[in-house]
Amino acid sequence: MRVFAPKPSVPISMSDVPSIRIAGIHKSFGPLEVLRGVSFDVHRGSVVSVIGASGSGKSTLLRCVNYLETPNAGEIYIDGEPLGTCVDARGQSRPRSLGEINTMRRELGVVFQQFNLWPHMTVLGNVIEAPIRVRKVSRKEAVEYGEECLRRVKLLDKADEYPARLSGGQQQRAAIARALAMRPKAMLFDEATSSLDPELTDEVLGVMRELAADGTTMIVVTHEMNFAHEVSDRVIFLHQGLIEEEGPPADLFGAPKSERLRQFLSKYRK
Amino acid sequence: MSDVLKQSLDLSIFWEYRAILLQGLIFNVLVFVCSASVALSVGLGAALLRVNRFWPMRWIGTLHVEVFRNAPDYIMLVWVHFVLPLLIGLLIRRRVEFHPFVSAVTALGLVYSGYFAEAFRAGIQAIPQGNLDAGRAFGMSERLILWRITLPQVVRRMLPEALNLFISMFKATTIVSLIAVPDLMYNVSMVIQQEMRPLPLYTGAALTYFLIIFALSSGVRVFGERWRRKILA
Repeated sequence: MRVFAPKPSVPISMSDVPSIRIAGIHKSFGPLEVLRGVSFDVHRGSVVSVIGASGSGKSTLLRCVNYLETPNAGEIYIDGEPLGTCVDARGQSRPRSLGEINTMRRELGVVFQQFNLWPHMTVLGNVIEAPIRVRKVSRKEAVEYGEECLRRVKLLDKADEYPARLSGGQQQRAAIARALAMRPKAMLFDEATSSLDPELTDEVLGVMRELAADGTTMIVVTHEMNFAHEVSDRVIFLHQGLIEEEGPPADLFGAPKSERLRQFLSKYRK
Repeated sequence: MSDVLKQSLDLSIFWEYRAILLQGLIFNVLVFVCSASVALSVGLGAALLRVNRFWPMRWIGTLHVEVFRNAPDYIMLVWVHFVLPLLIGLLIRRRVEFHPFVSAVTALGLVYSGYFAEAFRAGIQAIPQGNLDAGRAFGMSERLILWRITLPQVVRRMLPEALNLFISMFKATTIVSLIAVPDLMYNVSMVIQQEMRPLPLYTGAALTYFLIIFALSSGVRVFGERWRRKILA
């Protein structure tokens, strides 16, 4: 059963509307309640990092943000538009169809832990696929912008390679370029460096730092505490499906209030 | 070697009748191409039913696979040609007859659709979930994901098995002479009736099939492996 959260209060101007609003998200898998009411806003051009132990619900939260997992309750708003519901001609709220959700999803670029590049397409093929097929841009335009995205992640020289011939770091940078090519309003990173060796981690984090510096709106689920500390505008610490603590990175990493966050951070400082 | 044996193994008679035998071989190729198209499209449909999230759909898919995969092609051919028209005739109260070519294509297509369905299903289930998630995350429809992400990978993964199935299928086209499709074996039988020299004619037919299948499968294997290796790590 889905319970829809009430609409947020009417914003005064577009600049006040958060790029992404996560409102009271609940998600269960059978009897297991993974998210128990998570809410926060991500403003345009800001970087929000989500940290927490394995099993705290970080990845599920990110998958709920673009409805790869449908929340049991709560709602996601993209530029003030609810992702899961809409108002029909009679003024009544109804769940969006899959097609409508697909249209909304285009606005969010996702980078997965396992890269999830399509192995039968070249790097450039991966990058231009969704712009051509989903956004319906011309092939010429898609290639031009795709190459620009690959240049941004320093991978233009591998445009014609198949993913199987790339290192993990290169594959992840290709995945970032693929997400950027859709010109998303925000980027979601789901533990983008967790399956990479340390030296490959740095090259991917370098690209993510540059994106943040360019003003890209980002939600970053990460185990990289240094990255979260240095790059984020806000950090959210999830514990057992709830926000245990949130705030500017200086506060969270400098003076954690909750005992659980202190314990969690102490493991990374060892 | 006795003169009788020498004469029996003299394949020149096969060459002498090459025009009519080639005509028959063209029929084999036609039956193969048409029944392979039926097997691939019906097999894909059955495989999609087999992986459907609704159990009645899965059940229908499984039934299809079990019925046709376990039916011997010989019996299916005879059944489709002789029994099915009778059943349909009883239902619509009119005399129905199938052209032998239609029966051959239907029977072989259906039998092999059971095998192809399983090959497709295995290929579909081997696609990592993340590949599909990536498609969904970019707003692709399920149909687009099927055509652009799933099937191109499935085809590459199932290529070795599909090649074996195509070989079996081409060999199975030799039985269509049973219902008077004028294929190579049918024409060979006609020539034997006239010349009374079965040994060189059957040997010639066997060699012809062997050479065609060997050449084609070797070519496809080399080309296909190169194609697969480039993509599948």
